[in-house]
Amino acid sequence: MTWYDSLLQQLVDGLVLGAFYALVALGYTMVFGVIKLLNFAHGDLYMTGAFAGFGGLSLVSGVLGAGWLGIFVAMLLAMLAVGCLGVVIERVAYHPMLGAPRLSILITALAVSLVLQNAALSLTGGQYTAFRTDLGFGGLNLGNLFLSYNQIVLVATAGVLMIALELFVSRTAYGRAMRAVAIDKEMCRMLGINVSAVIAVTFFIGSGLAAAAGTMAGAYYGSIWYFMGFLIGLKAFTAAVIGGIGSITGAMLGGLILGLLESFGTHIPFIGSEWKDVFTFSILILVLVLKPTGLLGKSEVERM
Amino acid sequence: MSDSSNPRPSPPRSSSQREPEARRPWQRLIIAFESPGPRRALQATIVLLLIVMPWISSQYTTVILTNALLYVVLCLGLNIVVGYAGLLDLGYAAFFAVGAYTVGILTQQFGVNFWVAIPFALVAAAIAGIIIGGPTLRLRSDYLAIVTLGFGEIVRFTARNLEITGGASGLSHIPEPSLFGWRIDSAIDFYYVFVVLAILAYVASQRLFDSRLGRAWLYVRHDEDAAEAMGINRVRIKLAAYVIGAIFGAIGGIFFSVNLGAISPESFSFQQSVLILLAVVLGGMGKIPGVILGAFIVVLGPELLREFDTLRLLIFAVLLLAIMLFRPSGIWPEKRA
Amino acid sequence: MSQFRNLIVSTALLGLSVSSLAMAQEPPITLGVQVPTTGSEATYGQDMFNAMQLAAEEINAAAGGLLDGRQIELVTGDSACDPQQSVNAASRLASREVVGVVGGYCSGATQPTLKTYGDANIPFVIVAANSTQLIPANPGNAVMINSTGDDQAKTALDFFEGKGIESLAIVNQGDAYSQDLANLTRDAWTEAGHEVAAFEYVNKGEQDFSALVNKIRGSGADAVFWTAYYADGGLLVRQLRQRGFQGTIAVGDGSNSPKLFDIAGQAAEGVFAFSNPTADFLPAAEQFIADYEAEFDSAPGPYAPLAYDGLQLMAWAIGKAGSTDADAIIEALNSADGQEWLAGPISFTPQHTLARSNFVVLEGQGGRWTRYAP
Repeated sequence: MTWYDSLLQQLVDGLVLGAFYALVALGYTMVFGVIKLLNFAHGDLYMTGAFAGFGGLSLVSGVLGAGWLGIFVAMLLAMLAVGCLGVVIERVAYHPMLGAPRLSILITALAVSLVLQNAALSLTGGQYTAFRTDLGFGGLNLGNLFLSYNQIVLVATAGVLMIALELFVSRTAYGRAMRAVAIDKEMCRMLGINVSAVIAVTFFIGSGLAAAAGTMAGAYYGSIWYFMGFLIGLKAFTAAVIGGIGSITGAMLGGLILGLLESFGTHIPFIGSEWKDVFTFSILILVLVLKPTGLLGKSEVERM
Repeated sequence: MSDSSNPRPSPPRSSSQREPEARRPWQRLIIAFESPGPRRALQATIVLLLIVMPWISSQYTTVILTNALLYVVLCLGLNIVVGYAGLLDLGYAAFFAVGAYTVGILTQQFGVNFWVAIPFALVAAAIAGIIIGGPTLRLRSDYLAIVTLGFGEIVRFTARNLEITGGASGLSHIPEPSLFGWRIDSAIDFYYVFVVLAILAYVASQRLFDSRLGRAWLYVRHDEDAAEAMGINRVRIKLAAYVIGAIFGAIGGIFFSVNLGAISPESFSFQQSVLILLAVVLGGMGKIPGVILGAFIVVLGPELLREFDTLRLLIFAVLLLAIMLFRPSGIWPEKRA
Repeated sequence: MSQFRNLIVSTALLGLSVSSLAMAQEPPITLGVQVPTTGSEATYGQDMFNAMQLAAEEINAAAGGLLDGRQIELVTGDSACDPQQSVNAASRLASREVVGVVGGYCSGATQPTLKTYGDANIPFVIVAANSTQLIPANPGNAVMINSTGDDQAKTALDFFEGKGIESLAIVNQGDAYSQDLANLTRDAWTEAGHEVAAFEYVNKGEQDFSALVNKIRGSGADAVFWTAYYADGGLLVRQLRQRGFQGTIAVGDGSNSPKLFDIAGQAAEGVFAFSNPTADFLPAAEQFIADYEAEFDSAPGPYAPLAYDGLQLMAWAIGKAGSTDADAIIEALNSADGQEWLAGPISFTPQHTLARSNFVVLEGQGGRWTRYAP
């Protein structure tokens, strides 16, 4: 393998990883946009989504098989279930806290995260669950570059979901309302916008996207467990921050950038892979300290 | 943009304002202990109980109580950062680690006397406090939480990756200290060491609470801009909270390392930080007796729930959520908040 | 949860059988069992507990117990594979004045308990944990009946040399056990004059190893050695093969679980594992497998024979000592002189480790491990 092929391969792998990060980062950024809450439980919704997808697949695989069609249906089921879970969490845990000090609501979010994690821990006994599918190992060999069919389907699905979201936000009435709520909640209320409904829709979509990413990750990597949301939650948050929290395009961009950074970061000479996460966290801290608005974030989003 | 932890200069929300009269018996009990006479009596009883405990209980109870007292020190330290200064720290275990590793490395690898190593550990922790606190204090509170989380993980990964910290296996054979010929090595010896530390941490917390610095923290927590207008240097006093909190954490870590005789990076994980935070929030942020109660609950609770196996963690998480929703200022809330 | 229920039911049953037999007899001999019954390693812990329970029942039934009819009673201490929790569990066992402790799975969690048991002077048979870091931490009251990381590194060296490997990539998970094994293998491998093409870390719970796989492929390694546990190992094996890595893949004894096949699927075919002797490959274990399956409705896991031996060894030492005196039991344990047990003969070095290497090489074939004969 020449350095050039290796570079291309890393680019492709970075894109795949970035697609996951971007899908999860979108949920962070949307929720932050409308209620200014850093939803600590978001990574655990990804994990819950993986388990829901697993459950969904075992329901439908009898009829549809465990190939891409079955997984796709399972993913939709998981999105629906976890989307509703997100709405319930917002209603039960976050809604009563909206007027409380920021410290309290952050700790509430942390508590929700712990509840989801430990519920999954109790149900699975801390065991890894094998996510069995009928996906093959096949793919395209372009010279030395290997691109598996799974990767192609995965990136395409993530792309379609993101485009759909972008259209929803920019073209529909709900999307406009969402953007308006992000800017000024009080004013929206006065103008007769049902702010609670907009928040609920936001949670539904954000959680649904995390569930989509979780199901796809389960199917792609082949195993799921209760703690799988922690690391990706942190990294997706990093991605959202790099892109500029509150900005939807920024989250997608941040996800891709982080995926690429990690893919190439493993190859930095003289620094072993044991420092890889130190590298990621350092980027997060540097961005937060030096440019808290990220690449595409606007500073006025943070007023209020 | 202004820091959003103090949105508008409205009067602070306070539980005592909303509940002017203590109606329930346990509330009356809490109020009773707030007055000086009964409080002295309670303090004396607790100290007495702590002293006789090892003689009337098993070694297991002693070890668990030692653990609880360690958490009292750690929680009182985090309470200064979170409860007094209102800064959410999700990487507090990093300070705990700095104390433990500094003493571990100096005594075990360089043969430095334990008592000589302590000041080095404290200085190291203070520096860590400044490094973490310095650049982050201007951040909004949720960013601060994530940055401290990141720092905590960086410290843990560094301990895991370096040779001098013993890698993932950590350090073992950390020598036991001796004091004027008394070799501190049995479980009961360490128990008494932690009794002393916990009492010192209690006294120091109380003094800080009543001091000028304590009032400055209160002011900044409630209204940063107004505090600044009154001539309080908010960066300096926030930094002071970090450094003092770091020193408390390091003291816990110093004695934790010699007590176990071995330390490894797993002891300083994010979960550890969350557990300490949980104790502070559960008990009542800013309220010393509340925080102590919280420390005992997070240590004794899982031990008492041992029969429930993995469910105990879930029970704990649900409890925390319920506390946040129904009693957001903790079991024993601070009135001055 | 079902595990938890099993544990309660089985403990209760054991208690019942003990109490019905031992009524109005000598007080029981209480032995501690220190295994992870919660957390990601709970399967191994449960399996080890089952095997020990089987051993205790056999002793209680056949010989009417120990020391003139005293029954063995087991108490569990959940180490959760976590250092702090295992110290709590250990001091709980020490407070209950157990005569001896059998167990120890995760090396990192076992290490600090050595001090607890040492201070309380409780004989400790370490069944599975085998990091070389445990050796200097042993105050003298513990014996290790699993071969250590040194032996495994030697097995790995011989195996890879036998395969004609020149350049090796070693991957660990940054925990005490896998880092120790990785370092030992690296040292043995370079000392023998070979090249280590890559020496890598992954984090527990990380799912995407694509960058790592590219690096390994780019490094020109002929073989990959994964030194950590099966859960992430399964993912690595899968991604290595998915991306067309053609070389030899071997995994250490933390990955010798049948579950590796669940996670890695077809990619686990032809993967090699270094393993302590598991029941399937022990001629003496036929009866044990049958009994285990009859009682627990599942096949014994990789550490069941060692756990069974550990309890039997402890009982034997108590019998030989003729009392529950700790010093006498410790002396008896150390005097084990190579008699045959389920997993082979046991005798100890002056460092209280197993005197011989018990490692065998397995190969994944048809979705299960088979004994590999070069």
